[in-house]
Amino acid sequence: MRLLIALAGTAAGLAALLSYKTHAAGTTAAAPMSGTQGGGMSAQAGGAGTAASGSVAGSASPAPRDSTPPAAGSGARGSASPAAGSGAQGSASPAAQGGTGGSAATRTLTGAVVNTQYGPMQVQVTLQGSKITGVKVLQETNAGSLSQQIDANAIPQLNRETLAAQSARIDAVSGASYTSQGYIQSLQSALDKATA
Amino acid sequence: MRTGRPWARAELVLGVIAAGAVAVLGLWWADTPRVSGLGDALTGAGRITGLLAGYGVVVLVALMARLPPLERGVGSDRLARWHAAGGRYVICLVVAHALLITWGYAVTAHTGLVPEAGTLLRSYPDVLMATVAGLLLVGIGIISARAARRRMRYETWYYLHFYTYLAIALAFSHQFADGAQFVASLPARFFWSAMYVVVAALVVWYRVVTPLLQFTRHRFHVIGVRAESADVISVYIGGRWLDELRAQPGQFFRWRFLARGLWGQSHPYSLSALPSPDMLRITVSLRGDYSSALATLRPGTKVIAEGPFGALVPERSRRRVLLLAGGVGITPLRAIFAALPPGRVTLIYRASDPRDIVLRDELDAIAADRGGRVHYVTGTREELGGDPLSPQYLQAMVPDLRRHEVYLCGPPGMTATAIESLQAAGVPRGRIHHESFEF
Repeated sequence: MRLLIALAGTAAGLAALLSYKTHAAGTTAAAPMSGTQGGGMSAQAGGAGTAASGSVAGSASPAPRDSTPPAAGSGARGSASPAAGSGAQGSASPAAQGGTGGSAATRTLTGAVVNTQYGPMQVQVTLQGSKITGVKVLQETNAGSLSQQIDANAIPQLNRETLAAQSARIDAVSGASYTSQGYIQSLQSALDKATA
Repeated sequence: MRTGRPWARAELVLGVIAAGAVAVLGLWWADTPRVSGLGDALTGAGRITGLLAGYGVVVLVALMARLPPLERGVGSDRLARWHAAGGRYVICLVVAHALLITWGYAVTAHTGLVPEAGTLLRSYPDVLMATVAGLLLVGIGIISARAARRRMRYETWYYLHFYTYLAIALAFSHQFADGAQFVASLPARFFWSAMYVVVAALVVWYRVVTPLLQFTRHRFHVIGVRAESADVISVYIGGRWLDELRAQPGQFFRWRFLARGLWGQSHPYSLSALPSPDMLRITVSLRGDYSSALATLRPGTKVIAEGPFGALVPERSRRRVLLLAGGVGITPLRAIFAALPPGRVTLIYRASDPRDIVLRDELDAIAADRGGRVHYVTGTREELGGDPLSPQYLQAMVPDLRRHEVYLCGPPGMTATAIESLQAAGVPRGRIHHESFEF
């Protein structure tokens, strides 16, 4: 009998703790998904959001994990406008970001550095017009070998999802929730720059 | 003689345990930025239950580590009850942890429970080992459940319990390899391991090293066995420098008789006489396989004694004293009876069968010598025309009952009834000292 009371109490406590965390973070947590307000995003990323390195790509990126080659294929089958040569995506090409208004211009946008519990995550996207043609991870979590193992598995999957979804509205990879969260937030902040 | 109430200490210990649990929750709280969606919530609940279970097993082992402050402040019987209740709770936490984590990961990954369980077992480090540990714990929990325990020999139950140590060891590594709260935080890993290491050291020190040191110093051995009734015996145990142990009347030792068939276990028995520098005496009821074998003990048999333990020790108090014994619960009270100041003590000795009354000559002699009074209350309730432990009956035997300090020892049912009656008769709870002798 006492055991049942204790278990019921525990369940209630769990529900309270979890709903508090959900609720307290709710206002900011919604932001990166909604994709409209970068401000809420950077606050939510633990103050790291402002560390974004502008939009000049390819500079000083520590050992980027380049995922563009597998992505090119899936990007191509998207719609009927593979305007620019897809060979250019893979390199760390300085962007034509200065902005010729042309819809097919290739732009490279760097996302905010998002500090996760296991280290920073930073994502760079390549856009042709409004189409995501490449994603590259500039910084990934670095808390030991397990963390690297998790990233090695999760990041290609996240890249594929991004190219398929053409937005930051992608699912987290199971077992890599921190990596996924950091990835998604950084990706969203990069995409926010495209619309800004 | 001891001052200070075991009450407050028990609450202090519970407070410390609760504070530790809050600190463990703090680990999760500090490391969790937010919870979004069902998968996250389930995983979060799984992590919390896992952390609490990892903390809980340490608390459970610490309760049984024979720590002198706990044994004296809280009392071994209450520690055993906490351990049993806490054990059931922690096993539920372990089960909840496994289910919630699997479910949470499955929801996040959009897979089913079964494939996700497979993934967890195959590709997460040490999860397989931890699963074995969890199953062990659940098995031990089922075996220890009251109903099952009655059907099995105490010895079997006792030995099975040692597998919990194996389970705890098996489950340890997955906490650091997979636990989100530990992977990234060196301080968390440090304090968590420190907690495990300290408790393990305490167990080894108090359950293994101390008894052996006492054995070599005091050289406990059986002097002789005397029959007190058809099924009660007294065992006299000799040794040297026993006064150094500072055993007090009302306390007990855990005795391990180094004889064939007996050396594998230690059992708690109260001192039934005042301890002397070269001899101790216990009085044992011969029910059960183990205790009936004690009747065959030969003089000279070596004994490892752990102790003294027990919080049923006379308070330094000017109040009159009531000693209330049920059955073989007389043993610690017999020792206390001989130790209390003369003239202010009443002893009520309850046994349903008059033949179960033991040590009668000694009790009468103490009463005559020290001006105490003894009531032997025997017979069933029907024969007595009422419950002798009812408030009215007790008040009739003990005038001014409410002003007494009460020491109570007997089987659990009798103890519970007596406490209710004493409180109904106006004795404050803080003045009722009791120990239940069934462990």
